Amino acid sequence: MTDLDERNRTGAADPVKALLHRHNDLCLRAVDPLEIAAGLEAHGITDRTAARFRHRDVFSLAEELYARVPRDDPPPPTPPRTENSRPSTPTLLLPLLPGALCAAAVLALHRTHGENRLYAAATGILAVALALRAVLRRGPLSAPGHRHRPATTPWACWLIGYALLGDGLLHAAITGGPDGLPDGTDHGHWPLAAAPALALALACAPAAWTAHLFTAHARRRLVSSRGLEDFSASARPALFGAFALFLGALAAVLGMVSAVFDEPSAFAGTLALGALVFLARLLTVHGFTHAPKVMLSVTAIAQATALATVFAARLPGLGALSTPVETLTTAWGPAAVPTLTCGAAALVLLIHASRTLTRASAHLPGEHPR
Amino acid sequence: MRIGLLTEGGYPYVGGEGGLWCDRLVRGLDRHEFDVYAFSSDEAQEDAGWVPLPPQVGRVRTAPLWTAEDDGVVYGRRARRLFSEHYGELAAALCAPADSSTTEADRFATALHGLAELARDQGGLVAALRSETAVRALERACRAPGARRTAREARVPDLLAVASHVERALRPLSLDWYQEDGLGVVDLCHATAGGVTALPGLLAHHFLGIPLLVTEYAVRLRTHYLTRPDSSPAVRSLLAAFHGRLAAETYRRATFVTPGDTHARRWQERCGADRSKLRTVYPGMDAAPFAEVGESPESADPHTLVWAGRVEPAKDLVSLLHAFAEIRTQEPKTRLRIIGGPTGPEGAAYLGHCKALAAHLFPDEADGPHAVGDNPVSFEELSGPGLRTPADAYAGAAVTVLSSVVEGFPAGLIEAMFCGRATVSTDVGAVVEAIGGTGLVVPPRNPRALAEACVSLLRDPERRARLGAAARARALELFTVDQNISAFLGLYLEIVARTPVRRPLLGDTGTPLPFAAPAEAHLPGHWTEPTPRAVPTWAMDTPVPATETTR
Repeated sequence: MTDLDERNRTGAADPVKALLHRHNDLCLRAVDPLEIAAGLEAHGITDRTAARFRHRDVFSLAEELYARVPRDDPPPPTPPRTENSRPSTPTLLLPLLPGALCAAAVLALHRTHGENRLYAAATGILAVALALRAVLRRGPLSAPGHRHRPATTPWACWLIGYALLGDGLLHAAITGGPDGLPDGTDHGHWPLAAAPALALALACAPAAWTAHLFTAHARRRLVSSRGLEDFSASARPALFGAFALFLGALAAVLGMVSAVFDEPSAFAGTLALGALVFLARLLTVHGFTHAPKVMLSVTAIAQATALATVFAARLPGLGALSTPVETLTTAWGPAAVPTLTCGAAALVLLIHASRTLTRASAHLPGEHPR
Repeated sequence: MRIGLLTEGGYPYVGGEGGLWCDRLVRGLDRHEFDVYAFSSDEAQEDAGWVPLPPQVGRVRTAPLWTAEDDGVVYGRRARRLFSEHYGELAAALCAPADSSTTEADRFATALHGLAELARDQGGLVAALRSETAVRALERACRAPGARRTAREARVPDLLAVASHVERALRPLSLDWYQEDGLGVVDLCHATAGGVTALPGLLAHHFLGIPLLVTEYAVRLRTHYLTRPDSSPAVRSLLAAFHGRLAAETYRRATFVTPGDTHARRWQERCGADRSKLRTVYPGMDAAPFAEVGESPESADPHTLVWAGRVEPAKDLVSLLHAFAEIRTQEPKTRLRIIGGPTGPEGAAYLGHCKALAAHLFPDEADGPHAVGDNPVSFEELSGPGLRTPADAYAGAAVTVLSSVVEGFPAGLIEAMFCGRATVSTDVGAVVEAIGGTGLVVPPRNPRALAEACVSLLRDPERRARLGAAARARALELFTVDQNISAFLGLYLEIVARTPVRRPLLGDTGTPLPFAAPAEAHLPGHWTEPTPRAVPTWAMDTPVPATETTR
């Protein structure tokens, strides 16, 4: 008997074996017989074909195939999906733009006088705003889906505006002023504190980079962790690490800016504001928009109230209104108001983020469930 | 009768899949009212707008399935516990071993109803289904003892993928359609597909007792198995369980299930549909364009074979060309026309491959030494000269050939049958069922058998004519639009007769009013004809269309 005859005979005795061999991949990866049946039908196998394999229909043929594939060994671990989540170099360098533009604007403010200074200020604000917009639209700080953007922009603008002008106004108000509009310099009756704004603009870059670090780490852990608890436990230190890294970078930038401009900057206040804005953006990026909106608005309202009480105290009979703010200011200076308000809000957001951003459901690529 | 038509990505939208069929159904039953409840499949479709609707369509309500609005409701402690309980039950039903039967099906149904009631009473289900609570419940179910092996291996990304898919599939639960003045006013729900499309019908049955009719031309569960080949085993297993249980629940609650062919019917039986509920309703096709060709069988060229359809690899044109080479050795005068354009880049590449093969197999030939030759195989498109309609394609050839290796319901074959042409087809999909002995059938991927069948028909004009006439008679009996519509009308009437919706009328004090609805009110159709008296327009009771989007 020749080899060929032998093969034919075994083939005739077990025709399913040849089929199993041909559709080995399909049978190995199928999770139930119906999946094999669907796959076989997609390859053109009908009930009449199944009859040749001595089966009533494709379903019973698929069941035999499913039963005959050895399944004792665990299936090979799925290779981690190599998503190209790494942003391109331009996207990573884009956050440097607001800082550069802001530095140029501050330089222009120092070099110009009179009407030209007004134009320089307007141009600078416009340029920085556009650059910020670009940074928030793409890269690690961009929020998914532009459909429901909560109105946090006005509150954030107020907070930054307060960092620029608020301390000067508060000081002037307590000492009986202000006697006119600010002139754009860091001295005079209503001084403009350009250093905090410049530091914040420069801190855009570390903010984007640390946010990217955190997201990338979370995605990696998502693939490798075994359970949800496991993931949370590893994401929490990553969040605090990213936050600390950003604070350190902001402090370094702030120190550098103060040294260059040689002006005493409100160190603690700016740090608190930076932390608040960073956390708010990080939460927004991951789809949690409610808490940032509430905290930013509460902080802005608190600052506005502090200013308003000082002015209201000038009315007859309401002198006691300004006592808390004045006590605070005489004890720690006018920077105490933003430090306290922003610091408290940042702390609340940090606690919130440590609970929400460490959930696995916050890091679903593509979609952002809550 | 008032029929709630449930569609997905189809009917009222322009160019929707299956829209033509629904349009014919609605226009064909102009003595009944239709309420259309439609899911749109993407934004482009919503922007494209609707087809013109006939007056019997009373109201149209649409909802997107591709996006979900978060209604901002945040659950309190009690609602969260309820949600966690129901979702946990749902997850446990998905993780249970595949062979456990009715208890798990009941568990799935109870969980589904619990979630639907939660969505109706409190809202906020979209956010809850996306929440960490849901993912945690899923993880608990997967790690529970007794869970199936593939579920136990689910990792965090798998859990997230499953949770997000389930959220998308359960979006219909959050709709406000299940009110007394929504789906409550219809006499029956007709779901035009299974799966998620039938979910509103299931809920209307649960909340309001509306009977459900499910039509499936393509079984959703089978499509689902073929659409996600890249996911991990855990995801595939859990989602297959979800869709399997949803299909089983749909078939269990439906009064009738109408598959489009035996293939769909077998899948439905396999997924737990009761045989007594199954009624095969063949898709209907418009026979009118083929009438002229069908009545003039002598117009066909006795030496021409034709293949018509969309060119793609599953049609196996290569096998057809090899068969044609065999035919040419026996009948040298035969010509082959391949009519149809490619689908997608894959189809275009395949068409190029086929053209090259045809040029290789058959050299150009001419009648004499002084004539210009051409190839016996011609590739044409339907928009070409003399080829305006599909009927023109079949008209010129004596034999129509179908060489597919994979096929659903063969629409092209039905067209050839309407034209009264003899056919040779491969035994795939619903071909045997459609042709039913009025044409020759050969095994797929067998060029020699295909060639022999073609040659036998080419040599026997009488047999060709006989088969062609029989095929046309069979198609006119089984596959016309009229039979499709009358079959559905019959089913509607049977459903309304067997399971009428009882709506007790309540008096001012909230007690049921006896004899408030006379027996005539249960008659199907308009039992009170509109009064012939002249009525001023301001006195007419114009129904306010309760549409979400303007018509």
